[in-house]
Amino acid sequence: MCGISGVVFKDKKLHPVGDYMTKMLDALQHRGPDSAGFAIYGGLGLEENEYLLNIEVKEAPGLLEQVKNTVITTTPIKKEEIIPSVEDYIIYRCKIALNSFNELKPLIMDIDEIKNVIVLNGSHSFEMIKDVGLVKDIAARYNTKDKMGTHAIGHTRFSTESIVDRYHAHPFQSYIIPDITVVHNGQITNYWKIRDPLERKGHIFETTNDTECIVHYIADKLNEGYHLEEALEQSVKDMDGPFSYIVGTPNGVGIAKDQLGLRPGVLAENDEVFAIASEEVALREVLDTHDVEQISPGEARAYTI
Amino acid sequence: MEDFIIDAQNKTPREVNQTIKEAALENKKITIKNPNAMHYLAAGITESVDLVVDGSAGYFVGTMIHGARIHINGNAGWFPADNMTEGELVIDGSAGDGVGQGIYGGTVVVTRDAGSRTGEIMKNGTIIIGGNSGFMTGLFMMGGRIIILGDIAEDAGESIIRGVIYIKGNIKSLGKNAKVKELDEEDKRELEELLPEYGFQLSPEDYRDFKKIVPLSKRPFYGKESEEG
Repeated sequence: MCGISGVVFKDKKLHPVGDYMTKMLDALQHRGPDSAGFAIYGGLGLEENEYLLNIEVKEAPGLLEQVKNTVITTTPIKKEEIIPSVEDYIIYRCKIALNSFNELKPLIMDIDEIKNVIVLNGSHSFEMIKDVGLVKDIAARYNTKDKMGTHAIGHTRFSTESIVDRYHAHPFQSYIIPDITVVHNGQITNYWKIRDPLERKGHIFETTNDTECIVHYIADKLNEGYHLEEALEQSVKDMDGPFSYIVGTPNGVGIAKDQLGLRPGVLAENDEVFAIASEEVALREVLDTHDVEQISPGEARAYTI
Repeated sequence: MEDFIIDAQNKTPREVNQTIKEAALENKKITIKNPNAMHYLAAGITESVDLVVDGSAGYFVGTMIHGARIHINGNAGWFPADNMTEGELVIDGSAGDGVGQGIYGGTVVVTRDAGSRTGEIMKNGTIIIGGNSGFMTGLFMMGGRIIILGDIAEDAGESIIRGVIYIKGNIKSLGKNAKVKELDEEDKRELEELLPEYGFQLSPEDYRDFKKIVPLSKRPFYGKESEEG
């Protein structure tokens, strides 16, 4: 089933968007208990060439040092943090600097070569938080309520296809262009038809999860010069199956819904806030919901700042 | 009339519904405060009670009611009044997909817009939408009437078998087995009697704007038209 949500503060200023997104996702908890995730944009305050890596590392002697040594072969570690997780894993978070964005994906692939280690994400303009379990537990573990930002997307997962772990928790990210994320409720039934041409263009798939397919598709379209809403509109024409999904970019969020309208999506906005979600119960956490708009079948909507 | 108040804050749908069922035995009017867009509110209520939901409701509000009269001061999610057999559900706001899905009787009113598939597989009863109604309104409708005061979206009356959809606004496109007909005098009288009951005050000119969608055939997929009894 899954719950999805997105929120943008129109004034481009920093707001406690982590707290708002936590409340929105908690309200959608009934739609999926397996994992939850956030992409919180605008609050990291990194220098132009800096990136934040989130790396899942099994608690084993010497493994974390091996990860650090791999990172150091490419670039020095500027700052680091260890966040305890569950099931004998930690999240190793480090800040690095790269000469260009193009160095990020190869570094991630190098780190992923280490057994019992996987890079959950690498980002410049947003903070990715995703883990297995319930929203309130993840929120407490990662202190999401204190995260500031301009906009965010989030997800509660009811897994139907791929496995339940941190990596398969949403949001998914693409590295075709920087900082594109997707949260998704549904299934893409022509998955291979979408994936094949993207792979032929050289885009790298790490999973068989259809949400990864969406995020690469959207990033590819944005890379070709589509505006966010145009990319979403095209995706509705190209993708089959029941779905609604929300995209996060450094400048905003957008939602797309399948042509038969088989997955929910609602929208509300005022002068300050643009909010989208699976259900009204999430929207009411950020604004008055007197006027709630149903996203129509085949419709795409976006708000960029 | 004494009003029994239920505060839904921090309660589960099961707890709220159990309280409604117990209170409905001894009270004529019940008000639910802080519904917080909760799902399944008032599911399966079979007492003839007046129920006010003071805020928005979630999915399946009033599902399978028989005789209750529910008024929602807010919006509703997907499938309000699903499979209702008798009673009334008034949503003083907007609603999601599947308004009045599969109802056998009773009346559902949405004062503003409704989502997709309004009245899908309904067998009887009445649905009134004060605003626009979405994609595939009347999908596989098997009886009853839907009245749309705004516009109706793509594939209206898709695979409609029986029943009628009245539309005051524009029809974006028709679904399979659907055709448009002019209203006759009996249709107009029916609407003129019905709509003011629910606060929709229309002028004589407004009533002239209505047209209706009915089935092309009662045997669109197999069998013969002559077999229809």
